[in-house]
Amino acid sequence: MNDMFKKQEFSDKQKKVKKLKTQMKSLWVFNWFNSCGFIELIPLVGSRWDMERFGMILTSTPRHADVLFITGYQTIKSIKRAKRIYEQMPEPRIVIALGSCSMTGGMYWDSYNTIKKLDNYIPVDLYIPGCPPRPEAIFEGVQKMMEYIKNNKKMVSKS
Amino acid sequence: MNKYLEYQKENRIIRKISSKFKVEVSIQRKRRVWVAVSKKDLVEISNFIKGIGFKHLSAISVTDLIKEKNYELTYHVWSYQDNTLLTIKTRINRDKPTIDSVVSIWEDNAQIHERELHELFGVEFKNNPNLTPLFLEDWNNTPPFRKDFNWRDYVRDEFYNKENKREEPYWDAPL
Repeated sequence: MNDMFKKQEFSDKQKKVKKLKTQMKSLWVFNWFNSCGFIELIPLVGSRWDMERFGMILTSTPRHADVLFITGYQTIKSIKRAKRIYEQMPEPRIVIALGSCSMTGGMYWDSYNTIKKLDNYIPVDLYIPGCPPRPEAIFEGVQKMMEYIKNNKKMVSKS
Repeated sequence: MNKYLEYQKENRIIRKISSKFKVEVSIQRKRRVWVAVSKKDLVEISNFIKGIGFKHLSAISVTDLIKEKNYELTYHVWSYQDNTLLTIKTRINRDKPTIDSVVSIWEDNAQIHERELHELFGVEFKNNPNLTPLFLEDWNNTPPFRKDFNWRDYVRDEFYNKENKREEPYWDAPL
């Protein structure tokens, strides 16, 4: 009984990985922001860095998105909305956190109204450090994500 | 220039107000007038002031005078006819901070400020229909901008773990 259950789980994971691998050719990104990380992500859309050449595109709804960018600090009010956005995204989903604020609180480490570690609230797959990160750093992070999925048999998203 | 001529406009405003109410008035400089008001008269005076042209409430602010156990509320009102900023000051007890709302007079101009001050200082505005907080949704501690709120302790208790070795510096840091 137990073995059967495990097998079932494993094949589900395999399916997810397969789906992810196909989706990796066209990542649809939803961006949840309330700080400077958003302003640093905007140049990616423009012609200079142009993330569409990697198949990345911004969507206007989380229900169409594969990747959730959480940029910068989250307040106690906005983390609730971030959770709801995360729940709306279809499986398999990837969460990428931008900037040092999402890792340790950054310059808001002693603020009464911002959360300090994003990992306590949402399962994060990749952190991109920087204050704020350069566009090149974001591309490098996404590339690492793609390679990780290609090489690794493990499912990326923790949920 | 003659001092009387210089402050003609300001003196005219002061005469209008002090003929109706007993208030302390002072001219700070050109086009800046201060009025100190008691808590009870605030709504009446606001009504009168709006009638003589002060139609724009540009800000309400609170100063926490912790030694005197008072909140000082400051209302900045602008007149487009006289190009003058009138500053109304009142004091209320900081342990029971209740005051009448001026939403019925200046409407939306006052609403956003009163909500903010209710959120950050805990001031209760009587007769204000909607005092829901702007950002601090589930806050049940003392209002954060009060001077007796120890926010460093609050942040440490709420967000940092003393037993975590990496977070020790946050606890040892001098205040």
